[in-house]
Amino acid sequence: MDISEVLRYAGVAPDADESLVQRTEQITQELCNAISPRWVWRVFPSIDLPGQTAQTMLTDCHSVCILVCTLGAAFDARLRAMQARDMSDALLLNAAGSALVEEGCDAAQREIAARFPQAHLTDRFSPGYGDLPLSVQPMLCDLTDAQRRLGVHVTDTFLLNPVKTVTAVIGLSDRPQQARIRGCAYCSLRESCSLRKGGKRCAL
Amino acid sequence: MRFDRDFLILDGAMGTVLQKRGLKPGGVPEVLNLTDPEMLIAIHREYIDAGSRVIYANTFGANAHKIAGCGHSVEELITAGVHNAQKAAEGTDAKVALDIGPLGELLEPMGSLSFEDAYALFAEMAVAGEKAGADLAVIETMTDLYEAKAALLAVKENTSLPVMVTMSFDDTGRTFTGCTVSAMAHTLEGLGADAIGLNCSLGPDGVAPIVAELSRCTRLPVIAKPNAGLPDPVDGSYSMGPEAFAQAMLACVEAGATIVGGCCGTSPEYIAATAKALQGAKPATHIFDNTGCICTPTRVCRLDGVRVIGERINPTGKKRFQQALLENDLDYILQVAVEEEDAGADILDVNVGYPGVDEVAMLPRVIKKLQSAVTLPLQLDSSNAEALEAGLRVYNGKAAVNSVNGEPEVLAKLLPIVRKYGAAVVGLTLDKGGIPQTSEARVEIAKRILDACLAHNIPREDVWIDCLTLTVSAQQEQAMETLKAVRMVHSELGLQTVLGVSNISFGLPNRPFLNQAFLLQALAAGLTLPIINPNLRELMDAVAAHRVLSGEDAQCTRYVDRFAGQPTVKAAVSESSLTLDDAIVRGLKADAARLAKEALAQQDELSLVEQRLIPALDKVGTDYESGRAFLPQLLSAAQAAQSVFEVIRTSIAQKGGSPVKKGKIAIATVQGDIHDIGKNIVKTVLANYGYEVIDLGRDVAPETVVQAVAEQGIRLVGLSALMTTTLPAMEETTRQLLAMPNPPAVMVGGAVVTADYAESLGAYYAHDARQAVDVARKVLE
Repeated sequence: MDISEVLRYAGVAPDADESLVQRTEQITQELCNAISPRWVWRVFPSIDLPGQTAQTMLTDCHSVCILVCTLGAAFDARLRAMQARDMSDALLLNAAGSALVEEGCDAAQREIAARFPQAHLTDRFSPGYGDLPLSVQPMLCDLTDAQRRLGVHVTDTFLLNPVKTVTAVIGLSDRPQQARIRGCAYCSLRESCSLRKGGKRCAL
Repeated sequence: MRFDRDFLILDGAMGTVLQKRGLKPGGVPEVLNLTDPEMLIAIHREYIDAGSRVIYANTFGANAHKIAGCGHSVEELITAGVHNAQKAAEGTDAKVALDIGPLGELLEPMGSLSFEDAYALFAEMAVAGEKAGADLAVIETMTDLYEAKAALLAVKENTSLPVMVTMSFDDTGRTFTGCTVSAMAHTLEGLGADAIGLNCSLGPDGVAPIVAELSRCTRLPVIAKPNAGLPDPVDGSYSMGPEAFAQAMLACVEAGATIVGGCCGTSPEYIAATAKALQGAKPATHIFDNTGCICTPTRVCRLDGVRVIGERINPTGKKRFQQALLENDLDYILQVAVEEEDAGADILDVNVGYPGVDEVAMLPRVIKKLQSAVTLPLQLDSSNAEALEAGLRVYNGKAAVNSVNGEPEVLAKLLPIVRKYGAAVVGLTLDKGGIPQTSEARVEIAKRILDACLAHNIPREDVWIDCLTLTVSAQQEQAMETLKAVRMVHSELGLQTVLGVSNISFGLPNRPFLNQAFLLQALAAGLTLPIINPNLRELMDAVAAHRVLSGEDAQCTRYVDRFAGQPTVKAAVSESSLTLDDAIVRGLKADAARLAKEALAQQDELSLVEQRLIPALDKVGTDYESGRAFLPQLLSAAQAAQSVFEVIRTSIAQKGGSPVKKGKIAIATVQGDIHDIGKNIVKTVLANYGYEVIDLGRDVAPETVVQAVAEQGIRLVGLSALMTTTLPAMEETTRQLLAMPNPPAVMVGGAVVTADYAESLGAYYAHDARQAVDVARKVLE
């Protein structure tokens, strides 16, 4: 796995103390040995999504894929156990988990692309970004039967549990898709983002 | 009804059949019980015609949590659901099951729902189901053993219905929450389920190996109710047809299942095909493995060798532990447990009895805390029957109880509780007459205890006998009597043997050496469950050596792992020039603790904190602010400081003084928010600046925060929220706090919180843990 991603999630500069980078590598490796991301996806001709961004992204798509990917309750248990031992390691584990679930999404997206060799896929777009509200989480999880098939729950406040769970929408089109929705303008964290305050940007 | 005759055929899916007939995902399918009873009766009847002898009423999700807002009560939906099934079964011998599925909300520690609330939700369903006339209850599609336990207790305590329990396992042989097949079997059989098994998740081909494993782990009839294979992500259709399903079900039957049916994707055709395939088939012979065990959901401790019981969770003679109990400091108790787990203990003894501590309330609280972060099974150590029952109730898995003795009144009082919760039990070989002086008399008491257990239906493998270690300096001849008794109980009665080892050396010098010698002799005599301090290397080394000599450690693998590559003599302490300040800055916990102990010879506790600890933390804090150090390093330093604080607390507790505390801060993740690592990071750092941090947890209601502030006179409250959807809860909590008569200061933080937002609430803004310390200084100093 890409350690620089884990370091980025942990807020650690790549040129940090070598022992810290090594510790990050070790924790990431142990996590990858213990837990693999699991996912389900389903394709629908269309789904009703609120907000402009999703609509922009899905312009000229013939179908929409909903993806749910999770590290499962085992990650949460591991994180609790780690927090009881060492908060510093727990912070790194939390970052490694974020990176790992994103890797799972990448792998799922490759699986989807392989199933539709003729189609062009849009970006992956998740609730909480741009103007796609978190309140669509229950619908996305119901449509994929994510509670029964992955053990993913949505709280009354629309948070996903287990904690390292991602839902995303991906459009399928006959035509090549440009990246329509990347960058700070579409990010709901733009007001509070520490990278942005420092004049930098993340990779997305 | 009986489950042990020949095969029993259940029904197939309800949910996917309803979807095929037009039901949309989401919503409350149980409302159909009232709005479209004819359709449900028709489906039930098709299953009965196909050969189902048990049909599941359409009540899977009819709990108060899931049906909230649908306009009907639990009782209405369940009564209608059961009555529909009864109408379909009229004139046949088919039985009607009340179907109980998961609540749709995760229990603690994964979610916010308490075990007690889950129990109440299930009890409401169970009572309604029995009242409506259901013949049995089925608890199904469970992935959390704790939730399954809550449901099973609710059915057994509130109805007289027979009850089957099935859980969903994936291709790794575990449920989504990590529960193993063996842990499920031992826990649910112990709690009195009538039949257990698995449903959903995979096709019959995928579940057959899991059925085989389950058959080895239980004496109960085994249920298999799998899916019609896996659904296709494009059109949603399941991969197996009725014939393929029925043929694959034969593999489940060969693996030991006698109660069979179908789950998602199956229909009456699948059941008909399965019933046909089973004609002429005979139930497979169950080969039950009766090796004793206790367990948590994720970890089964099989008693087929020496298993170390850690003794450290016990206030006897430990001032610091006593203080933690009196202050309700569960974090400290968890620390002790974590150390024992990391040192290689297999089971943890838990004793929280101390004057001034309400054991009945404390034991379950400690158990809940421990099982949130420790995977080892627990042995509940108390003579208080009420505390033991409260503890066993909330324990997730199969526990052990320490202890009963040969006294008939004690046995009559405690064994029913042990039986009810399916625990193992330690029997001490003593009675009214005290501890017998001969091994023969102790074995006699052991036999009496065994007989009493068997009479209470506690299986033989769950009876552990403690032949009692006496202090050799006081009663020298008794050491050999104890060993003789252990040998007899082990070889003649064939029972597990327990001994508290370190009693032997009381009052003598070089205790570890004597303890080790006694331990080795006891292990050779047949001791299987030594109760020891696993942090003592001499004792754990002895256990490791014994495991090699007894053959338990095959190929000496564990011994080699333990010792290979390690210097035989402990290396001299790292760097002699290391200062306390360096050790804190570099996050070296053990060194910091050692240096703090040395420093306490020169200066008092308070000046150590003010002159050494805080300046060192500040140095890391400054590096962090300037980007020379990062959050993990700030936390490492904070934890090294924590180890120094622990030295200081122990030192003060020994002197009987009150702890160094600079002021109380309450901290919480706001209602609706379950992401708490950020809050925990702030807590770690604040605590290590000497503030007393009252951690109210996550998903905390505004009223709870206000109450804590009022009761404890708190002057600063930290609130965390991660998501935009929980900001309103942050606003409401802050509003209520600031409306108090003598309002505390409030600081807020979290991914979506900004300085402007904090200002709009009238709160301080803490961008990170470091800034939280600055706010605390400003407010409290």
